[in-house]
Amino acid sequence: MAKWIPLWLHKLGSPPTFYRFAGAVRPWAMGLALLFGVIGLYGGLVLAPPDYQQGDAYRIIFIHVPSAWMSMFVYAVMGVSGFIALVWRMKLAEVVAMESAPIGAAFAFITLATGSLWGKPMWGTWWTWDARLTSELVLLFLYLGVIGLYHAFEDRRQGARAASFLAIIGVINVPIVHYSVVWWNTLHQGSTVNIFGHSKMPWDMLWPLLAMTLATKCYYAASLCRRARTDILALESGKDWVREIAQAEAAR
Amino acid sequence: MTAPAAAAPLLEARRLGFHRQDEPVFAPLDFRLHAGELALIEGDNGSGKTTLLRLLAGLLHASEGELRWRGAPWQRDTCAHEILFLGHQLGQKHELSPRENLGFAIGLHGCRDGITPQAALDEVGLGGYEDEPVRRLSAGQKKRAALARLLLQPAVLWLLDEPYANLDRHGIALINRLLERHVAGGGAALVSSHGVVGFHGGEPQRIRMHG
Amino acid sequence: MSAPLEHACAAMLRRDLTLAWRRRGDMALPVLYAVIVVVLFPFALGPDLALLQRIAGGLVLVTVLLAMLLALDGMFASDIEDGSLEQLVLAPQPLALMLGMKILAHWITTALPLIVIAPLLAGMLHLPAAAMPALLLALLLATPLLSLLGAVLVALTAGTRRSGMLLALMLLPLCVPVVIFAAGAVAAAQEGLPWFAPVAWLAAALILAVVLAPLACAAALRIALDS
Repeated sequence: MAKWIPLWLHKLGSPPTFYRFAGAVRPWAMGLALLFGVIGLYGGLVLAPPDYQQGDAYRIIFIHVPSAWMSMFVYAVMGVSGFIALVWRMKLAEVVAMESAPIGAAFAFITLATGSLWGKPMWGTWWTWDARLTSELVLLFLYLGVIGLYHAFEDRRQGARAASFLAIIGVINVPIVHYSVVWWNTLHQGSTVNIFGHSKMPWDMLWPLLAMTLATKCYYAASLCRRARTDILALESGKDWVREIAQAEAAR
Repeated sequence: MTAPAAAAPLLEARRLGFHRQDEPVFAPLDFRLHAGELALIEGDNGSGKTTLLRLLAGLLHASEGELRWRGAPWQRDTCAHEILFLGHQLGQKHELSPRENLGFAIGLHGCRDGITPQAALDEVGLGGYEDEPVRRLSAGQKKRAALARLLLQPAVLWLLDEPYANLDRHGIALINRLLERHVAGGGAALVSSHGVVGFHGGEPQRIRMHG
Repeated sequence: MSAPLEHACAAMLRRDLTLAWRRRGDMALPVLYAVIVVVLFPFALGPDLALLQRIAGGLVLVTVLLAMLLALDGMFASDIEDGSLEQLVLAPQPLALMLGMKILAHWITTALPLIVIAPLLAGMLHLPAAAMPALLLALLLATPLLSLLGAVLVALTAGTRRSGMLLALMLLPLCVPVVIFAAGAVAAAQEGLPWFAPVAWLAAALILAVVLAPLACAAALRIALDS
């Protein structure tokens, strides 16, 4: 019934095809990322009005919130491609899962760093055991575990499969961690501050945020394409099509 | 001529190959092994003998080709109880005695009718060492303790990786005796070895490996 | 012809328990470690009764967790070294069930001694007697949960160079909810609040883990050994 899914994946999953596809996509994705990034930052830092409570300090959300979303989005991508890698033993899915991990970890780290920069003026402290920040920290540890496990194996494909398995366990774990941390916060009467309150965000704050979200998505696509291309070349180094590329590069 | 079903070989490999990091470990192999047959796997160091045996045991996945068991596609669950694999690592717990190690193996794999662990240990020449921790046995005696499993486990196909290593002249004769009896009783065996094997039960099949 | 399932389970359990008994010196190490950690804390924080009382439950839980982590690394190490794990994978028995027995044996030999010593540790930190049942129940539910989750991760690292630190890094996200609910139960009992809810959550998680973790462990082991 759903036979076309593996079939389609199989076609795009052939490393030479993907190599060319990713090479074609990368400049466009990078260009779009820069364009949206410039628009979003101009809109967010210059055009958007200051917040009536937080003044200009709130403007860090134009970095903080998109990276927080991306850290979760990339984890979802990693989990799904990890699942494909395990079920269909597809080399490309392994590459996508493993090359997503460092990018996702970087987004999680940026979220934590900007969160604590924002926390200083807002809460008067660099770090607070807020449910969202704590979950983000656990997410960072999950990423680091996946990266660490991948590199602990001598056989890269075996490492990729083991780390994919860990990523899938993490997908189940993330909501459990989130709800348990929320429960823990209510139990201990922590300093949960709801930044957005229940007010709706005005449009001139919202559109730069959406632009930044698109920019980070495009950046992820571009970065993933570049990393996956490098990885595929290394994995397929013995194959003829890679030799041809190497010879063409050398002839230049 | 016998019926086709009865003539189906116990184990059949068609263009069987295994890749490590996308590099083939050995050239694609074709062979058939019938019940009552012995096959020697020959090849230099690094030609993939151990890899082939681990593949046939079900520890590795074949990268290409086909493996058939009694005429049907090979599946771990259907033939696990009929295969016995003895590798470089003997699977013996050093803190336990040979008798305790055998007891565990029987618990896991079952036991042939009409033989006890004591009889098996006597047969492999470990009478008097049954309750000594394996840690205190010599390398050859450890090997013999592992060989006792061959007598006890109800397996049709033996996969033996370098069984002659660490054994003296009597030990080698012991393995040959066990192999002859197993093959005469309708069993089959695949044995990897560099050395010459003095096997008396007919000329064994030879499988040549190329790295 | 192959051995019946209950014989195989009994053989697995008996072998691992016998092995642990022959190496009973190793069995004492996590207990010793837990005692040392708990003794060091009052030296670091001062013998203030109220402060120690407040942190006693959480401290004992975290100490037991770290002591278990210490022993977790060795769950499959010697079996890989001597080839008996290969034999287990090849045996005509359901691997998940056999691993479940192995995890049970590991829990009996490492976690049970820690649970036995836990009231002593809690007493040294002046945990009120009223909170003791909550602590013991929380430990009885949380330690098998950690053994099961830890076994999956140890199985994943089975094909790698030994790496205790990596195991800790991988286990941390998984044990956060366990620690939260176990410590939550003890804290609630200490304040005289009802502590049934977190314990019930732990029990539910344990039931799920008993079913799923051995299956995941078997799958992880097949991935990690397939090279």
